[in-house]
Amino acid sequence: MRRILTPSSFLTSTLLSAGFLLALLFVWWWNSRAPTPIVLTPTLTGKPEYCLTCHADLPEISASHPVETFGCVTCHGGERLVLDKDLAHSSMRGGANPSDLSVVEASCGGSNCHSGSEADDRHHIQRVTTSIQATYAGAIANIRFTFGAQTDLSPHYGIHAVSDDKTQTGIQSLLAFDPFSESNPNIQKFGEECLTCHINATPREGDAYARQTGCAACHTPLRLPSNSENLGGVSRRDEGGGVHALTTAIPYTQCNTCHNRGNYNLRTMTFDERTDHSTIRLYDYYQPIAQFTKCEYTLDCIDCHTRSEAMGDGDIHADQKSIEYVQCKTCHGTPTELPLTKTLTDPNDLAFRLAFLNPVIDLKLGDTILVTEKGEPLWNIRVLPDGTYEMYGKATRQYFTFRPVMGSGCTQTGEDQSSSYCHECHAVER
Amino acid sequence: MTNLSRRDFLKLARDGFLWLSGALALGGLLRFLDYEPNPAPKTEFDLGPADQYPLGSRTLLTDPPAVLLHTESGFSALSLVCTHLGCTVEQNADGFICPCHGSRFDADGNVTHRPADKPLHSLRVEITPQNTLRLRLD
Repeated sequence: MRRILTPSSFLTSTLLSAGFLLALLFVWWWNSRAPTPIVLTPTLTGKPEYCLTCHADLPEISASHPVETFGCVTCHGGERLVLDKDLAHSSMRGGANPSDLSVVEASCGGSNCHSGSEADDRHHIQRVTTSIQATYAGAIANIRFTFGAQTDLSPHYGIHAVSDDKTQTGIQSLLAFDPFSESNPNIQKFGEECLTCHINATPREGDAYARQTGCAACHTPLRLPSNSENLGGVSRRDEGGGVHALTTAIPYTQCNTCHNRGNYNLRTMTFDERTDHSTIRLYDYYQPIAQFTKCEYTLDCIDCHTRSEAMGDGDIHADQKSIEYVQCKTCHGTPTELPLTKTLTDPNDLAFRLAFLNPVIDLKLGDTILVTEKGEPLWNIRVLPDGTYEMYGKATRQYFTFRPVMGSGCTQTGEDQSSSYCHECHAVER
Repeated sequence: MTNLSRRDFLKLARDGFLWLSGALALGGLLRFLDYEPNPAPKTEFDLGPADQYPLGSRTLLTDPPAVLLHTESGFSALSLVCTHLGCTVEQNADGFICPCHGSRFDADGNVTHRPADKPLHSLRVEITPQNTLRLRLD
């Protein structure tokens, strides 16, 4: 039976079809608003990514991580073929910081990357997650001991649970510290107020503390020292507030975002910010010492302190003192001993790798460099033919020369080498 | 000129809208089906006439990154993609060096300096009947 359409049915069906067409046009228009994708197929993955459609203006993060090779997704995660901002970013690791320790293994790990073998000295993630900078084990043990929660200073807890199957220190594991399971209110307050410095903690508010977390806490300086006497340095953040850069040339200003900013007050369990920061570095003395020799205020922290001191050596350590070992004599020797040296004969020597990553010095086979008593290369210090030493600042590229203590007028004994002894004669007058 | 009744006008408009909608939907469908989010990477590269590459020459290619060798035994090519993580190695006096992590290779592509632990890949070079060279990555 044929259905007869009434005039109103005609009008309705026409309006419906017009609405349908408008809806389709709207979808078409909406879809055409999406930008034309810029496709990058990184050689490492061989999988196309559209990230550069919006992020083509980002600077290369480092010479070791070119975007043509790594792309973006290898490190950052995210939906590689999505052009909608929220959806594309929905599965990113660590937000804008894939080096946060909660995701670092997925972002930076892998046997060819930063969780390689210890023998090759490529176990960076194992080193950093077991390091004092990440576990804060010494501070936690000290506080728990002080307030009677444990009977000695042995470390039982870290910021996160961590284990070390091949321990050289005898500490095989740490439990995750939960201050709220502690009965002592001081320890609870310590947990609330005093855990802002370990490298995976969100830093305190303020430019002076501004840093990222995880690897980027050190390797992505948000500010660089300025040539002027402005200790705050020069911000290198982009319009989005971030910095897309990784470096091993870490300036002292980055270390200062945690160190040298103030003290934890054990009576009130609060952080007392320093108020005596000078605008001249010489007067901005390092608090525990309150004195500077010339090298302590002209060099950067990483010029003396080694990678294992700063980033850990793969073992869980009880406290800061058990990992820091470099002293004045490491570079200068004593009245009776020259500093330790090593002549580079192996092209695969770690010194070459470190100098390659931060090319402040042109190391060659046959060069003699200084090494620490643990054998770590002080690769930026080379022995000169006349027995003196030349040094290139790792962060500043400044050139220095210096002499050994032996043969000088120094009468300090070889045993008394903590910096306070050297400061007695060599502290710079302020 | 024929007078169009209101009913016919509505019918014509409705049909027009539906046809346009159908065409738009079909266009969208074709566009969707035609879209290739994962284009297959190119595996063959035409290198031009073989006589452009004289005997004994070592020619750096940029796409793909490779060095084309013409020796007594014929044409061959070495990939310049570092076998460590895939950066493009650079030629120097001793062979090749990776600018990313410092791996070094001799002129034949053998590793002389880690972190790479495999030699540079050899690539296939074919001579076509037209005496041109074709480089194949597969």
